[in-house]
Amino acid sequence: MSIYTIEWAPPSEPVRGMEAQPHNVDDDGYVAVEGLDRNSVEHIRALEQRAAAKTASDYAHVVWAYGILWALFAGYGVLLWRRTVWLSRSLAQLRGGAETRPGAGR
Amino acid sequence: MTRAPVAPLLFGAALVLLPWSVVRVFLDTPIERQMGTAQKIFYFHLPMAWICMAFAVVCGIAAVVELRRRSVVAGAVAVASAEMVLIAGLGMLISGPIWGHATWGRAWTWDARQVSAALLWLIFASYVLVRRYGAAGSERLAAALAIFGAAEVPVIYYAVKVWKTTHPTTDVVGSLPPSFWAALWPALCALSALSLGLVLVRVRLELLAQQLERQADS
Repeated sequence: MSIYTIEWAPPSEPVRGMEAQPHNVDDDGYVAVEGLDRNSVEHIRALEQRAAAKTASDYAHVVWAYGILWALFAGYGVLLWRRTVWLSRSLAQLRGGAETRPGAGR
Repeated sequence: MTRAPVAPLLFGAALVLLPWSVVRVFLDTPIERQMGTAQKIFYFHLPMAWICMAFAVVCGIAAVVELRRRSVVAGAVAVASAEMVLIAGLGMLISGPIWGHATWGRAWTWDARQVSAALLWLIFASYVLVRRYGAAGSERLAAALAIFGAAEVPVIYYAVKVWKTTHPTTDVVGSLPPSFWAALWPALCALSALSLGLVLVRVRLELLAQQLERQADS
């Protein structure tokens, strides 16, 4: 299951101990902060952690895949270049040897 | 033999297109909803598969020409294409399981597409080995292997249509949104230019080696 398809809704009942406290008439207009309850916050954090872990794992896979692909092509390119240099040198030596051989060019 | 200017041109094109394709893949293309960032592997995995299959067919055709006309150039093209099948095939066979590990949870599922692609790679590995280490006259055996390998390409293509597989079907490519194609085209062009350039260099190298052999014998 993809983490992007998880459907989430905040719990309808507030978690025990996390309810907004009824404010006192003597509090001079004080209103308690009403945010997400603890359960919801933990749920969101858990999802965020899963998403972060998935992204980090994906990046590692992408880096490996691209790294290996480019290394393959680069390695093959270097191999061909070295063989070209070696063959060209061998051919030049052979031609040079043929020219300096006694009787060559008669 | 004069040096063909086509290969440097192709390498130049690849040098420009490769960084551009990376920018398009990682910075300009949205992250796929189901697979996440791991889907970015697709933009280089698919061209690898296409290049591998294209050069397998080229190798098969060149092997037929070599057999019928005893053409030295066709033989060199066949050898160079077979080596590119090995390089691109290895890229495909490594990047695919890495992507599978990230999205399916398993790198290798013995899927029909995976197995047929691995078989193609093994056939061309045999071809290269026979060409390199085979005794005199083994070119005919090697050519038969190349033709057999080229004939396996349609099997790989239709594997996802004929058998039930984990691998996505060929229809997925056609249904890609334009934003994904905008990243796939540069990657495809860059890797095609690079692989074609390498094949041309390899053809020249093979002809040079044969020239050296003739000169050494004379």
